[in-house]
Amino acid sequence: MTPADVVIAGYSETKVVFRSGRSAYDFAGEAFASLLERTGVAKNEIDGLSVTLALSEAGNPFFAVYMADALGLTPTWLNAGAIGGCSATGGVARAAAGIRDGMCRIAVVLSADAPSTSWRANYGAYRSEFQDPPGVQGPPATFGLLMSRYQHQYGLAPEALGKIAITQRAHALANPNALDKFKKPLTMDEYMASRMIADPLRVLDCVMFCDGANAFLVMGEDEARSRGLNKMARPKAYAEVTNFAGNESCPDITQSGFWKIAPNLYRQAGMTPQDIKMFQPYDDFTIAVLMQMEAFGFCERGKGSDYVLKTDLSYRGALPLNTGGGQISAGQPGLASGGLNLAEAVRQMFGEAEKRQIEKPATALVTGIGVIPYGRNWGTSAAMILEAANA
Amino acid sequence: MPDVSRPIPKPDVYVPSKPFWDGARAGKLMLQFCKDTNRFQHYPRPVSIYTGSRNLEWREVSGKGQIYACTIVRVPGPGLEGRLPLSVATVKLDEGVRLMANVIGSDPEDVKIGCRVALAWDHLDGDTPYPAFRLI
Repeated sequence: MTPADVVIAGYSETKVVFRSGRSAYDFAGEAFASLLERTGVAKNEIDGLSVTLALSEAGNPFFAVYMADALGLTPTWLNAGAIGGCSATGGVARAAAGIRDGMCRIAVVLSADAPSTSWRANYGAYRSEFQDPPGVQGPPATFGLLMSRYQHQYGLAPEALGKIAITQRAHALANPNALDKFKKPLTMDEYMASRMIADPLRVLDCVMFCDGANAFLVMGEDEARSRGLNKMARPKAYAEVTNFAGNESCPDITQSGFWKIAPNLYRQAGMTPQDIKMFQPYDDFTIAVLMQMEAFGFCERGKGSDYVLKTDLSYRGALPLNTGGGQISAGQPGLASGGLNLAEAVRQMFGEAEKRQIEKPATALVTGIGVIPYGRNWGTSAAMILEAANA
Repeated sequence: MPDVSRPIPKPDVYVPSKPFWDGARAGKLMLQFCKDTNRFQHYPRPVSIYTGSRNLEWREVSGKGQIYACTIVRVPGPGLEGRLPLSVATVKLDEGVRLMANVIGSDPEDVKIGCRVALAWDHLDGDTPYPAFRLI
């Protein structure tokens, strides 16, 4: 549980770029320098660092140490974020614990990756013998399987997934950091006509690997106020679970770890789904968004399609959804992806979302997903509820 | 025999897996079995996922089962040359364990959740059989 006295007091994010030709270190440097400039914090005051492990630097088990070196930092608390898209929210929660335990005072949670320029990851394990031979190398096949099962159990309207893609695309149009390629509106006809890649998964249900970075400044609330950092996002609750149903051979794959952590999350925050003013869920695939709407109680289990079709998910709507376009429409900066959803939540709370600004951004639910395992849904599920704490 | 040979995985890279590959060459689907709980698990692990013990052995399964989830992979990728569109399914065996595998010998469009299947053998190259399933 994240104590209420630790806050996110600053954020920064680079533009998402496809095949930039740049490294994760270079993107990290851009996000880091911007964070210092935006908050006025001096580099030498930073004594905590959380670094998300990157696909593009995956061969280096000392990536976090090399990152500290690259940035000229001397942290007394260092965390390597090894839960993929959960590493940003997870990094903030761990940094809060590090601050609470006195291991550091001011931490930077940094995620940078450039897999569209350099892919160095090899997941190893059982994959070469048991997953690759049937042709399940990439996430799309696994998500095609997951969607087929969901559709079988509950019914799935392609128009609902299309609406998620279209809504997020509209949001990306107002996000200067979104990938340029996605800066055009999407119609339902285009979505429905988009090519099947692993039935019933369409290409427009998926993210595209890109390059990019984001960074968050985490410190005690008093510390932030004393520095005149009066825009703050307070983590009210955090929960994660890895390898949900890991001791079962035949679990219901339409039930993810989010079902386990959601009640705990709301209890920690003292909130209900009705208290959530914006939903910034991890969106590697549209079905993951829809399934999370159910797990977090915005609608009943299995009713995601109906809920999406009848709900205004725009930034002006009843449940503003991935108001920066999410990863599907802003581009997925590799494993820095989870920070993209988090950066948008913080940006909204700071009132800096310009043309897509939510009127009352008092609370946000941000989630993360890490790794696609063998024949299930996803490996790590993480979620954070934030509360705006602006002075 | 396939026109294009596919990568032949090395056994034993994760945990000892030779019985799976030897079994395949003998026409048998061998899976890891937890002797504490009398339950199968797949893929093989270094311990029982049910108890954490290493009281494991390999046993043959019937190869009979049912489609739990299915998709048709339509995009190219490593090892997919000449195989598209490819029917990929999660099969629940009657022994209570699931595998991801190809369904061969039928139109991928005919593979549906709930269909009964039986073991069939695909070939990674001339002499490396790999378990797959066929509709029955």
